[in-house]
Amino acid sequence: MINLIRPSAILLVFFLLSPPFSLFADTAKLSEEDRRLLEKVQRDSIQYFVVYSDRETGLTKDSSQPGSPASVAATGFSLASLAVGQARGWISYEDAYRQVRRTLQTLRYRAQQEKGFFYHFLDPKTGRRAWRSEASSIDTALLLAGALLAAEYFKDTDIPRLVKSLYEQVDWRWMMNGSGLVCHGWKPESGFLPYYWDSYNELMILLALAIGSPTRPIPADAWQAWDRLEDEYNGKRIVYSHSGSLFTYQYSHAFIDFRDLNDRGINYFENSRNASLANREYSLSFKDKYPSYSENSWGLSASYGPAGYKAYGAKPGQGLHDGTVAPYASIGSIMFTPDFSLQAIRFFYKSYRDSLYGPFGFRDAFNLNKKWWSRDYLGIDQGISVLMLENFLFNGEIWKRFMGLEAIQKWVRLCKLDLKETAIPS
Amino acid sequence: MSAKERRRHFLVNKPLQIRYMLTISLLLIIVTFISLASFYFGLWGDILRALTNEQLRNDLLTATRLQQYEESRYPQPGRTDEAYSFNRQVERLRERQQDVLKGVLDQTNQNLIAKLAFLFFLIAMGTIFLSHKIAGPLYRFQKVLDEMERGNLTVRCHLRKFDEAMAVGDSFNRVLQFFDSAIGRVKKITQEDEKNPDRLRSRLNEELSKFKTST
Repeated sequence: MINLIRPSAILLVFFLLSPPFSLFADTAKLSEEDRRLLEKVQRDSIQYFVVYSDRETGLTKDSSQPGSPASVAATGFSLASLAVGQARGWISYEDAYRQVRRTLQTLRYRAQQEKGFFYHFLDPKTGRRAWRSEASSIDTALLLAGALLAAEYFKDTDIPRLVKSLYEQVDWRWMMNGSGLVCHGWKPESGFLPYYWDSYNELMILLALAIGSPTRPIPADAWQAWDRLEDEYNGKRIVYSHSGSLFTYQYSHAFIDFRDLNDRGINYFENSRNASLANREYSLSFKDKYPSYSENSWGLSASYGPAGYKAYGAKPGQGLHDGTVAPYASIGSIMFTPDFSLQAIRFFYKSYRDSLYGPFGFRDAFNLNKKWWSRDYLGIDQGISVLMLENFLFNGEIWKRFMGLEAIQKWVRLCKLDLKETAIPS
Repeated sequence: MSAKERRRHFLVNKPLQIRYMLTISLLLIIVTFISLASFYFGLWGDILRALTNEQLRNDLLTATRLQQYEESRYPQPGRTDEAYSFNRQVERLRERQQDVLKGVLDQTNQNLIAKLAFLFFLIAMGTIFLSHKIAGPLYRFQKVLDEMERGNLTVRCHLRKFDEAMAVGDSFNRVLQFFDSAIGRVKKITQEDEKNPDRLRSRLNEELSKFKTST
């Protein structure tokens, strides 16, 4: 117990003594040119979800590649991005409302699912399971996170009711398959996948929604059941994900404001800041070998590459890399490393605009060694860019809305994550 | 069945029977043609669309990409060789083609069932219309016969313009008219010659001799 209390106390003292986070001050200091650039990237990225969502079903394609199936996670980011787009006046309220409603109705009444869990890939035209994919726990969680967020933007409509019914139908406990952990997924042909969410990565948004469920929650103990493996890189202690991919430190943070949450001495916001810094430093250590890497060109995360899609990442973790940089990764860390991310965005746009920037924002990745430039966009990568930029440009707008959700408050309460509640009595 | 009862000629009313034969045959031909055409064009149309070079190329790319997603999410130590990856891609593609074909067949069958259901509805309606052309006259004959049984010979069988058995109906009415007139005349003779039995008998015999009876 003492072992748990001590880091908490140190952290608390650190928070009390340290000046307020510089996040909003940085936003205020933004030059008009930078603000315009960030808004352009955000606005263009949102267009992905307008163009690559099916007109009838609203389901969003996984990528811009021809023949791509719809992805449930991309559809979640689409719902959130459309809501953001109308709030910024880039999409009319009516158009955004219609598309969000159409999508939710498809999900509620047509899309194939199992006990509330949607299949990872769906036929964008029909909503039927595609490519024999699994009913996926994380992709369903990202879908619901996007849907719950969208509901906050359309409060006086029927959208909150539709979202509520989607959320309430998920049998989270079933996905535990009798274990203490949540399974990755289930297939009709073979049952539960042999993989469980057992260590740090993008799982926190999944667990938050599963524990906070109003109808079929999993026990709060599940929050403690996964491993927080720690390692050090360049003096930064990090609870790391296996791949070291930057997106694993970002997805949950797009929705949840971890700044004031304390998990037995771990502050995941600080952790993601350290992971982002480590990611940049790790690529910089190879800058002589890979010209894609530089002070202003960084971002090792799962993306397309010259040899196909790879879970690129940094140390601590697997640290797979081949000189491929994914711009979305540095954009997605803008809440953690505002200056470095902004410099990277400026650099990517000014130096590589012709090859790397398109009608839907930054393309997925590039690799200068191989003279390779992705022609494609990935829905989830455009989505994380939109949400993180929204948080950055508008004072944590997504966080404010999402943290007010009853389910999230329940998760914080049951898992005793509130910094104030976990303060040590003197 | 005795030889006497056995029918030797099946076309006893050629125009009527040929008309019905043609009508029913035409209906069957339409149903068969629509079923076959729907099945053939639906099936092949969808298969050809699903298996265009472009679609196959897209499926191949998607199979590769999904395999890469899986390998990124679930790295398999010791299974990183290209052959394994290629085999999995081929497997994905095979499963995909199976699912596509199953989807095409399911869709074609669904379309066919919908079309056949509509055709059966039309045929059912047509059958009622056709049978009414026979059942209608039969019903009217029955009503007239009931009236005759009650001694009413003033009734007539009125058939509609396109009812079958128009000729039979005309004959039937002529017979009825004949009996009606004959019985009427007998009644009149009886009244006129009530006081002259010899004349009455003579005129009745003359009148009744027009009928050929078993006894």
